[in-house]
This record gives sequence, structure tokens and C-alpha cells, in this order.
Amino acid sequence: MRQVRFDGSFDGWRDAARGLLEHGVAPHQVEWLGKGELGGLFNEPDTCGPVGAAPPVRIPRQLIDELENAARFRTGDRWSLLYRILWRVAKGDQTARLAGDIDGSELHARIKAVRREAHHMHAFLRFSPTGCIEAPDYAAWFEPAHDILRSAAPHFAERMGLNSWLIATPSDAVLWDGAVMHHADPCPPAWRRLAQSLNDPGAELWKTYYESTFNPARLNRNVMENNLPVRFWKNLPEGALIPQLMSQARAGAQRDGQASSVAERPGKRISRPDQH
Amino acid sequence: MATDMQLIEKLSVLADAAKYDVSCASSGAPKRSSKGKSGLGATDGMGICHSFTPDGRCVALLKILLTNFCLYDCQYCVNRRSSDVPRARFTPEEVVTLTLDFYRRNCISGLFLSSGIIRSADYTMEQLNRVARLLREEHEFRGYIHLKTIPDADPQLIAEAGRYADRLSVNIELPTESSLIRLAPEKQVVTIKQAMHAIHAGETEAKAEKRAPRFAPAGQSTQMIVGADATDDSTILRTAQTLYGDYKLRRVYYSAFSPIPHSPKTVPFEAPPLLREHRLYQADFLIRGYGFEASELLAGPGNLPLDIDPKLAWALSNREHFPVDLNRAEPTLIARIPGIGILSAKRLVALRQQKRIRFEDLTRLRCSLEKAKPFVITQDYRPSLAYRESAALRQSLSDGPVQMGLW
Repeated sequence: MRQVRFDGSFDGWRDAARGLLEHGVAPHQVEWLGKGELGGLFNEPDTCGPVGAAPPVRIPRQLIDELENAARFRTGDRWSLLYRILWRVAKGDQTARLAGDIDGSELHARIKAVRREAHHMHAFLRFSPTGCIEAPDYAAWFEPAHDILRSAAPHFAERMGLNSWLIATPSDAVLWDGAVMHHADPCPPAWRRLAQSLNDPGAELWKTYYESTFNPARLNRNVMENNLPVRFWKNLPEGALIPQLMSQARAGAQRDGQASSVAERPGKRISRPDQH
Repeated sequence: MATDMQLIEKLSVLADAAKYDVSCASSGAPKRSSKGKSGLGATDGMGICHSFTPDGRCVALLKILLTNFCLYDCQYCVNRRSSDVPRARFTPEEVVTLTLDFYRRNCISGLFLSSGIIRSADYTMEQLNRVARLLREEHEFRGYIHLKTIPDADPQLIAEAGRYADRLSVNIELPTESSLIRLAPEKQVVTIKQAMHAIHAGETEAKAEKRAPRFAPAGQSTQMIVGADATDDSTILRTAQTLYGDYKLRRVYYSAFSPIPHSPKTVPFEAPPLLREHRLYQADFLIRGYGFEASELLAGPGNLPLDIDPKLAWALSNREHFPVDLNRAEPTLIARIPGIGILSAKRLVALRQQKRIRFEDLTRLRCSLEKAKPFVITQDYRPSLAYRESAALRQSLSDGPVQMGLW
């Protein structure tokens, strides 16, 4: 088994993989070691010298994009599968990329999970105004399950116009200064503090809306939790309301669809227009 | 601008009043971006659900009424004039402020604005247009806007709405004209359809000429209330199919009638099973996406079965097409196999250009094997004779006893 040590980035992996392909090193002979990862005891360190005049391997651009997407999937060993697929395609076996193949199916499952997590960030991240001249206009704390921050963050530059903003996560962070994106890995402690400490009274309006747009006569917990996984609730302003609204609806408010805060208020019938 | 407390109260009343309109789609808009520009907002055709309420519904837009004062007396509606509900009215500026604030917080992707009918249809439509104009022109808002169109409003006002909005909708409300006459005395099928026609004409015109101003690029939709009258699913699906054909609607939404406070005697006190609404959406999807006709799904009068999905029901009553050989069949027929969706059908067709399809390939494509098993042939698999009898098969594949609600 050959140990290949690289910086843990996709670019680093791709360079190493290209060298191995050109030397004809088969997937089962390689152990991939990203930054700080320890290999097996009896493995020999990579002794691949610089590539000589070996013919360059041609790989379709689209496959590289697929592998790069799949590489954002967090798992104990994310690189072996990618090299196995690269190896098979380089040997002319295109089925390795298809969802019906044993490796391709895992590749597409990872791509799908990564895409879904980017979508989760676009949907469930919440910005709060910082109210501070030295800080960006808005800041958010988000906990993604995969390494999607850098690739998914440009979406917010499209939305937010000239506002500046910061997104901090447990691993890395991005700052948009109004013109340029800055990526920091690891997330600087000051950014983390800012994103986690925002006290935001303006969120009350949103909570009011959330409560009122819910129809307690149609409680449907399963559909809700499938679409808004519980792990996101703690960072959503409406998160704390969810269990409360569910138990109220179960306790009998579910006869009709009206929010209880509206039902408490006096009503007003309107006279017919021809009786004015 | 009202104080925060007043604004919170208005918001709670006018969001509560708007929630019976079920559409919250934010998809289908053209690509717009505010990167490096003044103003706010972007669209890229993809919808985003920013939250889900415990009823399982997506929250993509700020969905509110401008006012719930209403001169009409539609029996199924919480805002009918005879309803004893708290009433409120936003100023257009308040709606603009709320939309922009929620948008910057990333709580929404845009606004869905509707209104009770005040003074006249034209006046009401003008008010809705005013909000959209403020957002688009004064605040350079590039997010999603869905405007409810008031059926009797002047076509000029509908044309103006189409220039600001991504989507317009007119609600057909009930599946038959007789129900509309009985339950919504101030509404008329003919003016509802005229408004749909005006929107469709606006879309066609904008598409015909490249430099024509945009008109509702995300198209139009409508909503039908299910279970407020006795209309069956067969009539509902035929009405929907006609609307898709005549006005090129993007979506028909089915809203299970939700009992309202102080309900009048003309409408039921009980909601229909949510499962009925779910089956209608499944059937609607088969009509829009799979090329099924309403008459294939329900040949005569009646309702869709609740215990099995409409595609399985169709397959069970059309056994002569099955089993389907996945290595030979037309892609459209593969997509008609229970448990195999359109995406899997496409992937199977791609895969069979490389190799013969085997049963394990269905597992990898994550098809619903239990449902597909009686209906497919692969290189290494044929359904057993035990599957021949449709009644027994239906029993083994049914979702179990019909549930009371949905849990």
C-alpha cells in the first residue's frame, strides 16, 4: 500500500491523482492522507518521483466537476472512491460514472447530498443586522454537514446587492465586503463571536409571521421534519416556536385554521355594499 | 409608519387571512442579480423554501393580504364580509418595508400579495400594483413577486401587474360553475376565465416579440378548493386538464377545504382527508409530467383511491401493458411503471446503452422495488405468477387502512 500525503484540497488531490494515473498505480494500492491524517502502520510513504515523459491522461472536464462536487462530501475516506472512478474511466470504463454502477451510484449519492446541503444553506441560513459600522452589515452562523460554504456562498452576493455580510461556520468562514469574497479557514475567532452573539429584536416580526401563516388544522409533523431537518432548528429564529405550535395544535386548536393570537381579538362583520 | 406593535398586530391578522391560498412557489423566474448593484434581490429559476411550518408547508414568500376587509361573501372564505374576524389594512409602504426586511434576513425569496375586495375590483388591483411598482422601481427589488389578480379588474391593470410580477394567479375557487354560483355569489366563472385569458394573451405577446416588455415570466397558476362542495375527483381533474390546455397554466393548486371560525351552514364543518388532496396532487403531476390523460386516471365519475397512488391504480387496471421489459421498452412506458419515476426512467435508458439492465440496477437507482417488482422484466428477472391476480396484488401494495387525518 502506497501512502499519498497531500494538503486535503481537491486541487491537491487532483495533482497527486494525475501523477499516480500516469505511473499506473491501481486504486487498491493507494492510501490517501489529507492534512494531519495518520496512515496505517505498515504502509510505505509515496515514492512516486516526478512524472517523466509519460503520456498525459485525458479525462472529460465534466467528470472532474463531478469529482470536485463529490469531494465536498464529508466522510472518513472521501478520496478512494474518487480515485477508483478516475482510474476506471481512464481505462475506458465509462459506466463508472453512471448512477446505475456500483461506484457511480455512490458518486451520485454524494453529489446529491452535497447539492442538498448547499440548498439547505441557501434556504435556512439567517442573516441578522450587526448594527455596527466596523462590522459587515449582516452576519450569520451556519452549521453545514458538508464542505459547501465556499461554493455555495456566492449565491448571497447575488441577493444582497451592496450590503456586506459574513457567514461563520464551525470550520471555515466567508466575508463579502461588497465587492470581493474572502474565504478564511479556519474561521477567525472574532468572526465566530460576532456571528454567534447577535441579539436581534427585529426577528420578532418574522416569528409573528411564521406563527400566523401556519394552519393548525393541518398539523403534519413528518412532512415538516423531512423538509426542515431538526438539526437546523436551533439556529432559526422560528425554531423554538415549532414544538410549541405543534403541541398547541394537538391540544385542540386544530378545529379550524385560525392562529390563536388572531382568534383572541374582537371581530368585525362588514355590511353589504348596497346597504351603505 | 405604524409603531412596531401595530405592525406586529396587522401582520398576524393579514398573514392569518392569507394562508388559505396554498401556493408558495418561487420558481420559474428569469435570472436576475443584484451583485455589485444598488437594490436588492435575485432570482435564478430555482425555488427556495426558507422554512416549513408544522403543517408541512413550504414558506418561500411573504404571503399576506393588503387588507382583509372584503365586500364579497364567499362562503368558504374566512374573510367573507359576514365573517366575524379581526380586520386590518396595511399601507403599501408597510408591505414594502416588511418584504425588504425579511428578504435581507434571508427569510423569504419574495412577496405573494393578495387582497380582499375593497371599493371596487379596479381600486383593489391598483393598490396591489402600487406595492409591486414601489418594490420594483423605487427599491430596485429583483426578488420574486406573485400578485393575485382580481377577476373583474380592467385589462390595463392586469397588463400593468404582468410587467411587475413574476407570477400572476386568478383563483378558479371551485371546480364547477354551479358550486361557484351557490357558494361565491359575487364571483362569475366567465370573468375569472376572462382574466386567465388576459394573462395568457399577455404572456403570448411578450414571448412573440424579443424586445417586448416582460410579462409574468413565471406564468400563471390557480387554486381549486377541494371538499367545500360535493364535486368528485374525476370532475376536478377534468377541470384542471382543461385549464392547463386553455390557458397554459403552470400549476393548479388543490386546497383541501379548511374549516374556518364561525363557519356558515353552507359549507362542511369537517375537512376532507388530507390524503385526498395528496392523491389529487399526484394525479395532477402525472397529467403535467408523464403525459397521462385525466380520463386514463379516472374513466368514469368518482374519486381517486386513497389506499394506493394513482399510477399504481392505473397499472393495476391496465395489466395488458405489463410486465414491461426494461431492456426494450419505450422510455415513456418505463416512466409509467409504478415505483419508477421519470428521472430513473432516463437513467435506465442511459444505462442500457452501456449494458443489459439487471434487477440489482433498480436497487442502485433507488426505485421503489416492492411497487415495481410485479411490473418489470430485466435480464435476470421475471415477475412470479403469484402477481397475476390484481385484487390480491392491490391489497399487498396498499398503504394500509385509510387514515383518519394524515397521522
